[in-house]
Amino acid sequence: MTGYARPASLEEALAMLTHTGAAVLAGGTDIAGQIDRGIRRPELLVDLQAAGLAGVVREGEGLRVGATTTLADLAASELVAPYAAVSTAAGLAASPLLRNQGTVGGNLCQHTRCWYYRGQEWTCWLGGGDTCFAQIGDHRKHNLEEGDCISAHPSDLAPALAACGATVVLRSLVGERELPLLDLYRRPTDDNRSLVVVTEGELVVAVRLPAPPDASVYLRTGERQAFSFPLVSVAAARRGGELTLVAAGVSNIPRAIDPADPLAGLPGHPQSAWKRQVLTTLAERAAAAVG
Amino acid sequence: MTRFVKTQKELEGRYEDVWVLVDEADDTVSWTPDQELSLVGHPAPRHDGAARAAGRVRYTADVVLTGMLHTAVLRSPVAHGRVRSLDVDAAWAVPGVRAVVGPETELSLTTRAPLLTAEPAYAGQPIALVAADTLEAAVEGVRALGLDLEVLPHMIDPQDAVNEQRFTTDPSDVARGDAEAALAAAEVTIELELETPAQHHSALEPHGAVATWDGDHLTAWVSTQGMFSAREELAKAFGLRTDSVRVLTEFVGGAFGAKQGAGFEALAAAELARLTGRPVRVVNDRHAEQLDGGRRALTRQTIRLGADRDGTLRAIDADAVVSMGQGGWVFPVMIPARTVYHCDNVRALTFPAKTNLRAQHAFRAPGVTEGVTALEQAMDELALALDMDPLELRRRNHAEVDQVSGLPYSSKHLLACYDRAAELAGWEARDELRLPQPDGLLRGMGCATQIWWGGGGPPAHATVRLDADGHALVVTGIQDIGTGTLTGARIVAAEELGLQLDHVTVIGGDTRNNVYGPVAGGSQTTPSVMPAIRSAAAKVRKTLLQLAGDVFEIAVEDLELRDGRVRSHDGAIDADVTEVTEKLGDATIDASGSRGVNPEGFVVNTFGCQIAQVSVDPGIGEVRVERIVAVHDVGRIVNPLTASSQVEGGVLQGMAIALSEEQVIDPTTGVPLNAHLDDYKIPTIADVPEIVIDFPNVGDLNLPNVGAKGLGEPPIVPTAAAIANAFAHATGRRATALPLTRARVIEVLS
Repeated sequence: MTGYARPASLEEALAMLTHTGAAVLAGGTDIAGQIDRGIRRPELLVDLQAAGLAGVVREGEGLRVGATTTLADLAASELVAPYAAVSTAAGLAASPLLRNQGTVGGNLCQHTRCWYYRGQEWTCWLGGGDTCFAQIGDHRKHNLEEGDCISAHPSDLAPALAACGATVVLRSLVGERELPLLDLYRRPTDDNRSLVVVTEGELVVAVRLPAPPDASVYLRTGERQAFSFPLVSVAAARRGGELTLVAAGVSNIPRAIDPADPLAGLPGHPQSAWKRQVLTTLAERAAAAVG
Repeated sequence: MTRFVKTQKELEGRYEDVWVLVDEADDTVSWTPDQELSLVGHPAPRHDGAARAAGRVRYTADVVLTGMLHTAVLRSPVAHGRVRSLDVDAAWAVPGVRAVVGPETELSLTTRAPLLTAEPAYAGQPIALVAADTLEAAVEGVRALGLDLEVLPHMIDPQDAVNEQRFTTDPSDVARGDAEAALAAAEVTIELELETPAQHHSALEPHGAVATWDGDHLTAWVSTQGMFSAREELAKAFGLRTDSVRVLTEFVGGAFGAKQGAGFEALAAAELARLTGRPVRVVNDRHAEQLDGGRRALTRQTIRLGADRDGTLRAIDADAVVSMGQGGWVFPVMIPARTVYHCDNVRALTFPAKTNLRAQHAFRAPGVTEGVTALEQAMDELALALDMDPLELRRRNHAEVDQVSGLPYSSKHLLACYDRAAELAGWEARDELRLPQPDGLLRGMGCATQIWWGGGGPPAHATVRLDADGHALVVTGIQDIGTGTLTGARIVAAEELGLQLDHVTVIGGDTRNNVYGPVAGGSQTTPSVMPAIRSAAAKVRKTLLQLAGDVFEIAVEDLELRDGRVRSHDGAIDADVTEVTEKLGDATIDASGSRGVNPEGFVVNTFGCQIAQVSVDPGIGEVRVERIVAVHDVGRIVNPLTASSQVEGGVLQGMAIALSEEQVIDPTTGVPLNAHLDDYKIPTIADVPEIVIDFPNVGDLNLPNVGAKGLGEPPIVPTAAAIANAFAHATGRRATALPLTRARVIEVLS
C-alpha cells in the first residue's frame, strides 16, 4: 500500500523526500496513472499542496514560477503573456480538467508516454528491463534519435520554457542549485535510466524566466485537436538577431534545434521517420512566426 | 381477437421465422403524411436529460448494496498462453478476500462458453476472479495469485490466418450473374484495396453488473442493451425460472453493440454472489474495457468495379478478410456491395480469419460501415476513371428494388437525400475548394451513400394505465442506452392519448414488469416499440372517449381528445380531461398493445447520404473535418431533437474511424498497445465539425402505425467513406488504410 503525507512546509516536504520509496505528488495527473497501472509503486506520496510552491511573481525583469502553479493558472497569467510560447504551450497541454490539476513541475518531470513503458504487460529498458520493445515493435510515435530507448519527450511546457531562456531551481535539504532548463534533462544510461537530473531527496521548486524575448511562439501537432500529447512540437524565441528553437517529441528529452539544419542528428526510425517532415515544417513556421 | 402469427424477424440483416402474438385490435391506422400532429415530429428534450447531466441518475457502476463485494479479474497478459500455476492460497490469504475462482474451480453456472480459461487465446482474456471487501483487496488478491504462464505462439495478422486457412467459420461466397465475365467485358474498370481499422466501443460506462440473491431469486443490475436476453441467459446459466430473475437496466452509459445479454460481468457477479452469499459487483476498469469490452474487426477489402462509359455499373467483385479474433458474428461486410447499387453481376467473398484477439463484437452498423467505407471509395475511384461527378454516378446506379431478393422497398427516398445533401453542402461548387486557399491548406469534398436495415418488428409490447388525475403510466421493455428512446415513447403515447407530454410517464429498464421489448440493437427499438405503445394508447383513448361520452351525454363520434382536453366538434364542450378521469376514483383505464407484423413482399431499409468537407495541412499531415452534411431517410421522425443527437453521435464515431481511432497491436507479443484512453484517440469537442442534419421525414406507410424506422446505426455508415473521398478530392491521393493519422497522411502525400 502507498502511504500519503501532506507536509505543511517545503522544509518538511524535503525531509520526507529523503525517505526511500518516497515520491512527489503535485497535481497527481501523471503519477496516479502510473500507480494505477502498477508501473510505479511508491511507499509514500508527499503531497506538495501545502508546501507553498504555487504562484507566478515578478523577479527583476523576469518571472519566478512556483513548481506547483497549475497549467491553467500559468496559461491565464498576465505576467506570463509576454512569453507567448509559454502561455500557448500551457493552454494547449492536456485538457481543461487536467490543466486545472496538473502543475508546472509535474509537467516538466512527467514520464514518457511510450506505450511499452506505460503498458502493464511490458517491463521495458527504460522501466528497468532489458529490451526497448519499441525498437522491435511499433514505434510510430517514438523519437528520431538512436539510443537504448527511443521514447519521445511529451512535455509541451519544456520546449516553450527552454526557448524563452528559463532556468529551473532544484532544492534539497543540502541546498539549492539552478540549471538551464534543458540541463534538467539527461539521456538515460544503462546504470541510470532516469531522464531528469533530479536526485533522490531533490525537488523542482521553481522555474525562473529572464526578461521576455522579443517574440516567441509554440507550434505543435497532436493526434487530435485537444487532449493529446504533442507528437512533435517546436517552440521558437527571438532575442534581437538570436533565434532559439527547441522541440519535443523527437528525442528522449527536449532538444535544441539548429534553425539551419533542423534534422541534424535526427535520422528517425522506420515508423517514426514521418516526424522529420513535421519537425522541418514546424521549425520553418515557428522561425517565420517570430520574424 | 388475439392470435399467433408466423412472421419473419430481422436483426442487423439476419432473418429468422418467429411466432408472435398479435392482437387484431392493434391494427391502428398509420398517421398520414399530411396529418397534423401535436407532439410527434416536434422536438422534445429527454425527460431524464437534466438528471443525467447533473449526475443524479444511477448507472450500474453506481449501484452500492449493503455488504457488497468488489471484484478484480486476472486477465491474460499475453495473446496466447497456458497457465502453469496460480497461487490460490496466497490470494485467499490477503485480508478481505472472500472468494477466489480460477479456471479449475467448479462453478454452479452452466454457460455456453467457459467463464474463465487456463489457456487464454487473447490478451485480456479472464483467467481468475477475486472478490473482496474492497476493490483494493481484490486487486491485491489478483496480484497474490502470482500468475505463471507459458507463452504460446500467436497469430495477429489476418492474412497469415487466411494463408493457413484458419477461420472462425467457413468463408462465404455469394454471387449473382457472372462478375468475372462482366468485368472482363466492361468498358471501364477500377480496383481498390483498402483496410478499415479495428475500433473499440469505448462506452463511457464500462461493462458491469451487480448481482444479489434472495434464496433462489436473483436480482442483477446489468449495463446491457438487452435486459430480456440477460434475464434469459442468467436463468439458463443458473437453472432458474425466468420469473426468478430480475434484470435492472434503468440507465446505461453507452453500449454501441458491445453490451449484449448478461455478458461475462453479470455471469461472474451472480456466480460470486452465490458463492459468497453477498451482493457482488463486477465492473471493468478502463484497461479491461479497452482490452475485452468489444472490438469492431479490422477488415482488408478488395473491390473491383466494371462499368459502361455512361457510368452504368456492370460488375462488382468484392472480397473481405475480417480479423475475427476468436470468433463472434461474421458481420455483413459484403452487404453494401450486394445491395447499394443496381448491378446484375456481383460476387462477394468473406474470409473470417481466426486471430489471437478477442472475438469481434457487433458495433454500430457492424459490417455495413466497413463495407460502405470500401465500396464508396471504390465508387469515387470509378467516378474519377469515368471523369464523372461522383454523386451523378451514384444517382445513375440507383437501385429501384432490393438487389438480393428482387422485392420492392417498403419506402425509399435516397434520391431526395442526394439532392438535399448536395444543396446543403454546396456540392456544385466543390471543385472551387481545390483552388489555392488563403490559409495554405488543401480542401476537398466527398460524398457517400448509406444503407442499413432498421425496420424493426415484433415482438414488442407496451401497457398504458390512465389514472384519475389524467396521468398515464406507460410501461415498456425499452432499455434506453442513451439514445432517448424513452422520450420518444412518451411522445408517441401522449400524442395518441391526447395528453400533454408532462402528463405521461414512461418506464423501462426492468424485466420485472414483464413487458417485452427487443434488444437495443439493429436500430430496432423505435420501429418495434413505438407501434406497440401507440396501440396500447389507442385502446385507452377509445375507452376514455367512451367515458367522456357518458359524462357529457354526447355521442363518442362527436368528441375529440387533444392536448389534455375533451372537445365536441360543435364547440359546446371544451373540458379538461380530468373532468372525465376524476370520476375513476381509484380505478384506472388499462390496456396493452403489441407490435404488428411487417408487411410481406417488401424489404425494409434505411437510406441516406453524407457529404464531408475536409482541410488538409500537408506539411504536418493534419486532416480536419470542417463540415458534414447528413441527410437520412428513416421514415417518420418522432423526436427531431434526439434524432439529431443520434446523427451527431454517429457522424463523430464514423469520423473517428477516418481520423484517429484504431486498435494498435504490438507485432512482437500480439498484445494491444493502446488499450487505454490516453493512446486510443476518441474525438474531442475540439475535433467536432459543423454537422448539418436533415431528414426527408416521410413516414413509411407500409410499416405498422407509426411509420418510423431506426436511426441508431444509419448515421455512422457513410461518414468515414465521405471523409476519405473528401481527402482524395483535396489531395489527389487515396490512402489505402484508415485512419488518416499524421503519419499515414505524410506517407500518402510524399
